[in-house]
Amino acid sequence: MISILIACSIGLPWVGALLVWLIGDKHEKVQHWTSILFSLAAGAAAVLMLWNTTGDAGLTIKMGGIFGDFTFIPDGLGVFLAVIATVIGSLAVIFSTSYMKGETQIGRYYAFVLFFIGAMVGLVLTSNIMLMFLFWEITALCSYALIAFHNDDPKAVRGGIKALIITSIGGVGLLLGALILFVYTGSFDIRLFIADHSAVPAGMMAVLAFGFLIAAAAKSAQFPFQTWLPDAMEAPSPISALIHAATMVNAGVYLLARFFPAFKDVLYWREAVMIVGMLSALLAAIMALTSTDLKRVLAYSTVSQLGYMVYAVGAGSVFASQFHLFSHSIFKALLFLGAGAVIHSVGTRDMTKMGGVGKHMPFVKWVFIIGALALSGIPILNGFWSKELVLEAGLAGGPSWIYAVMVLVAGLTALYTIRCVWMVFFGEARSDYHAHKVELAMKVALAPLALAALVSWLAVGPFSQLLGEATLPQHNIETLSLASMFHEVLSIPTLIALIGIAIGIALWLLRSKLAGFIEGLKSLQWAAEHSFGFEAVNSAVVRVTNGLAETLRNTQTGLLNWNVLGILAALIILLAAIILGA
Amino acid sequence: MWYVLIAVGILVFAILAISAKRLLISAIWLAITSALTALMLFLLGAPQIAVIELSVGAGLVTVLFVFAINIAGEEVIGLRSALPLPLVWTSIVLACGLLIFFIFRSLGFVQFPDATNTIAASVLWQDRYLDFLLQTVLILAGVLGVIGLLAHSKDEHSAEEKA
Amino acid sequence: MNLPIPFIVLLAVISLAGTGFYCLLFTRNLIKVVVALQLIVKGVVLAFVLAGHLQQNESLAQTMAITVIVADTIVAVIGLSLAVQIRQHTGSLDLKALSKLKR
Repeated sequence: MISILIACSIGLPWVGALLVWLIGDKHEKVQHWTSILFSLAAGAAAVLMLWNTTGDAGLTIKMGGIFGDFTFIPDGLGVFLAVIATVIGSLAVIFSTSYMKGETQIGRYYAFVLFFIGAMVGLVLTSNIMLMFLFWEITALCSYALIAFHNDDPKAVRGGIKALIITSIGGVGLLLGALILFVYTGSFDIRLFIADHSAVPAGMMAVLAFGFLIAAAAKSAQFPFQTWLPDAMEAPSPISALIHAATMVNAGVYLLARFFPAFKDVLYWREAVMIVGMLSALLAAIMALTSTDLKRVLAYSTVSQLGYMVYAVGAGSVFASQFHLFSHSIFKALLFLGAGAVIHSVGTRDMTKMGGVGKHMPFVKWVFIIGALALSGIPILNGFWSKELVLEAGLAGGPSWIYAVMVLVAGLTALYTIRCVWMVFFGEARSDYHAHKVELAMKVALAPLALAALVSWLAVGPFSQLLGEATLPQHNIETLSLASMFHEVLSIPTLIALIGIAIGIALWLLRSKLAGFIEGLKSLQWAAEHSFGFEAVNSAVVRVTNGLAETLRNTQTGLLNWNVLGILAALIILLAAIILGA
Repeated sequence: MWYVLIAVGILVFAILAISAKRLLISAIWLAITSALTALMLFLLGAPQIAVIELSVGAGLVTVLFVFAINIAGEEVIGLRSALPLPLVWTSIVLACGLLIFFIFRSLGFVQFPDATNTIAASVLWQDRYLDFLLQTVLILAGVLGVIGLLAHSKDEHSAEEKA
Repeated sequence: MNLPIPFIVLLAVISLAGTGFYCLLFTRNLIKVVVALQLIVKGVVLAFVLAGHLQQNESLAQTMAITVIVADTIVAVIGLSLAVQIRQHTGSLDLKALSKLKR
């Protein structure tokens, strides 16, 4: 039963991708419906897995001696992320039917979206690290292809290439980890490694742990790789919602959470993780404060919130990080899809040209405000509970100065969120735009997300059970009931955090009286717009990679004879080596 | 003695096949080379492979060649190589020389078993499910490729008709 | 001449592969490329069968040989149909004329 569900949730989107591509762009309607059908079917399969979680292999494909078995384990952590990927994937596909209507080459778009959904499910369910690396790279490829979907726009192509190169650097970290794992344990099985990592010596363990931290930071756009995510915003909005908010960028956090039991004793690893999370959260929040591009603000806030999750893992609470991931996936997908509806309707991403959009699109305004309140951490939305749990965990498991910075970031979050909402939906129109009507498919995708942002925190009990001992024996996650969450969250530190958030909001409301303070921020703004210098570093990496590729291109003559000569030369070298060696 | 004759024949006809000016002639020399290879396989005690090589290599593929050459048409392309000739010769001589040296040195003591193993045939198709799977996939790939190519040309025809 | 049989067969293998490689290095005709590939693969099949014979492991070697023949036939089919398509598109079978990768 469970093996069929696993096969369905990975395989159905891939079959769908193939079908959409084969149907061809002449039948746009059929393509829309095929993608909806297959993504919903995968979503149903993933949701059914919730009742069938197990810590043992759910599906094993024998692959002989070299790569080990391809094993998929539907444990709580994996199934939860698979559900997020498929359900939010389905909603993004439904949203796309209206957002992408009339675009050319819609088949390419849907094929990559579906291919991505399947790969993401595979990434979180597999327990073979080689296979995980494969899925990891597939998601990076899909992300690249979808960022650069409008491939006649050089900005989009540049953003895509940048995302691909930076995430591939992370992939190298993962591959290195996989090889070290194999050298010392003789298998690629993650589960065995986490259960017993005594075979790996301490020094190698440190290399492994920090290698995975780099991989995770690159994938999740954390410090110092945080600059690819804003540039990825050239992608169509449903893609930003799905890949760059709800799923792929979470893969890094997932990696850290998955390996936390093995790495937690590595010297300074937890501190490094917490500092990476803190710097990402802080820098991205400041950048979000000064940006005027609606989607870039949301991208920065994604980096910032991912910083919270990474921080929680470092502080030792995998549960808090995953619970925040759960809330964040919902409200950030909601915000991105809402922003997509606004952009689709107004025709620009520049917030300085918006203003007063709320009058034309009341439905979008209200769901966006729900998402924004959840992002700011206002009670009683899901973002409030999960963020407070993260902060509690940080206070308990990490130094208090990092905690103080994170509370400050919570205040900044409230400030930039209210600024964003205000600039888009309230005030007077600052340019001559014509808002279109919001279509039904958009509403169908937005409504469940808004509802979930309001109530998803009620599921904390079942959620903690899902991540509990039954399927994740090494993670030591205790079951947390709703009542005990109330007890834990409603305490003095929460009050401090709420005061921080209130100050953030107050700063915005009093902005006219605080002109001097804002002037002081101007110098910060310049630095923030340049990503505090890290943009230069990241761009340099991309430039060097591209330059190397261009140089190597000269070796590709495109003439078969030269290629054959290369093969023959390899044969000669091989023979000579054998003869000389023997 | 037979072996020597066949080996020399293979070399001669292979050279003829690659040096023939006309493609059609080249295809025919290739078919003869294939037939000689099949004969050698048969002498080596692999009659099944020999039959397959004869029917597929000398038969089917030759038909395909003739077919393709008929459609594509003969074309005399300048004999000037894209690579510098000394490079070609050096690498070929080096590779073949090394191979021959290698064989003479490492296989000098191997005894050639003359009794052929007859139970091979029954083992052949029973133990090797993987190969069957692989071949099915390969054939599928071939069929898909041909369908793709044909579908493409059909589109073109309809486009030409419209124009 | 009194060479052992394996040497003679191996010389046949080398002559097939050698002529094939020479043709691949030298020719600019797309159909000739397929001819050359055929020659090389014939050598490979012969080598497989001989190796099986020498190792007394005929079943494995012969199934491998069959797999190689099947794969090669498909390569020939695809290669030839590609050649036909390319000829119809560009009017030429010359590899040099087809090379568009250069800037």
